[in-house]
Amino acid sequence: MITIALPKGRTLQATLERFSRAGLLPEEDFASTRKLIVPARGAAARFLLLKDPDVPLYVERGAADLGVCGLDHVLESGADLLVPLDLGFGTCRLCLAAPKDSAVARGWRSGESGAERGRSLRVATKYPRLAARAFARRGVPVDVVRLYGSVELAAVSDLADAIVDLVETGRTLEDNGLVVVEELLQVSARLVVNRASYRLKLEELLPLLERMGGPP
Amino acid sequence: MTPLDSRSNNASEAPPRAAPPQGTQDLLFEAARRLRRCETALARVFEEHGFAEVIPPSIESAEVFADGAGSGAEALRAVDRHGHLLALRADFTAQVARIAATRLSGISPLRLYYRGSVVRETAAGSGVPRERLQAGCELVGEAGPGADAEMVALASASLLALGIPAGAARIAVGTVGYFSALIAAAGASARLARALTDAIDRKDLPGLTLLCTREVPPGKAREALLMLAQPPRRQAEASALLSRARDLSPGEPASAALQRLSAALDLLQAREPGAELEVDLGEVRGLGYYTGLVFNLYAAGAPRAVGGGGRYDTLLGRFGDPRPAVGFSLDLDALVPLARPA
Repeated sequence: MITIALPKGRTLQATLERFSRAGLLPEEDFASTRKLIVPARGAAARFLLLKDPDVPLYVERGAADLGVCGLDHVLESGADLLVPLDLGFGTCRLCLAAPKDSAVARGWRSGESGAERGRSLRVATKYPRLAARAFARRGVPVDVVRLYGSVELAAVSDLADAIVDLVETGRTLEDNGLVVVEELLQVSARLVVNRASYRLKLEELLPLLERMGGPP
Repeated sequence: MTPLDSRSNNASEAPPRAAPPQGTQDLLFEAARRLRRCETALARVFEEHGFAEVIPPSIESAEVFADGAGSGAEALRAVDRHGHLLALRADFTAQVARIAATRLSGISPLRLYYRGSVVRETAAGSGVPRERLQAGCELVGEAGPGADAEMVALASASLLALGIPAGAARIAVGTVGYFSALIAAAGASARLARALTDAIDRKDLPGLTLLCTREVPPGKAREALLMLAQPPRRQAEASALLSRARDLSPGEPASAALQRLSAALDLLQAREPGAELEVDLGEVRGLGYYTGLVFNLYAAGAPRAVGGGGRYDTLLGRFGDPRPAVGFSLDLDALVPLARPA
């Protein structure tokens, strides 16, 4: 029996399509059922429907053998996982962004952090670990404010000097007078696998990985 | 004021340290009995195979666990009143190497076993306890693949003694010798070597491909590095993997490492035909002191490796007695809940 963690966010359809290539389809439509665990049709497998950022932890702790989620959540979770496949969909960029003409936007490239004198740069984000790591790499002290939504608002409402957030088209940034200062990470959906499952269920997982990674 | 507020504002009412420190636990009654039964079963197997127990102290000079020789950065350290930097035991192997290299210097081979706890700082929320209960064996003074096979076979027998059948376990065997030779042949910097290790360890083929294309010059070493993120193979199907690795060997050290691995696998097959072995040239993570064969143990029901080991031919030299050695340890926290010892 293989347990698969699915992300219920915007990549769910693409994810299901990829599993169907490997012959794994949920017995019931997730759109119409309220069940959180759905068996696969005619196969020794089942699907769990999870919030995207929970996928890495379910897989790390072995409650699911494998799962799909964005590289942003994989790295932010710090979970100890195998990441054998880049599924290629759900692409976007994790970026440092700041108000146009702000000290951060102007100063970043010249080596200035853009913080007011006497205090650290304040950065709002849903990704505190990735944000802290990006600034540590540059040697810039930073005060990370962890938010759960509308991150752009933080940079235009004086909560923060800058934000670290996902950028898909850049429209939201533009509409709020923000510009990308630096791209920190290229994000796409990854297949993640539990370390022990990968060894113990190798015979079941290898064909699955091959078919999911191969052409449709 | 809600009851919650009054609680947090009046901390003095709470008993001091009601819970043991994060990542540690109290074992009571049945839990203690189960642990002791497992330890006893393991001690019996170890002794049947000619290993004798050593009990190192629970604190050590911190340099015994220094960087490059294991878990230096993860050790819990303190300065004593004489100004000496001490650490709680973070790794038995380094301590046993110290004992073998000093009081037991010159006696070969040595077969030593230990049991007890190690303390390492772990990431909060990772589910890995700070204090881990371990038992393990070290074979000192034997350099051949026979010793490698002996230790993998003993690890396999240990799982059986805990009542974990071979069919519910897997042993992933690899060699860090091949990877180190590739790193050297590619002329990789320490930073690049770390990045490659991380990508291979996570089977991150897309990430590894990107790294190799950008930073490793084209050639056999690059091809061979890319192969390391490939999935493991069951031992019966491993010969193709190993011969491809041999074809891509950039030089003598890489070929020698593979030859050693193949020899150990053959001996193991003869010795323990029932063991569920997988050959994984991507087993490159672990304590920094491994130099040759490495292996990890997995058991159904545990989400991460339940033990592992390998060859460390340079560690004893740090204590003044350069001798080859190979060993393994088992994580009892992970194994006790799965075990059904006789």
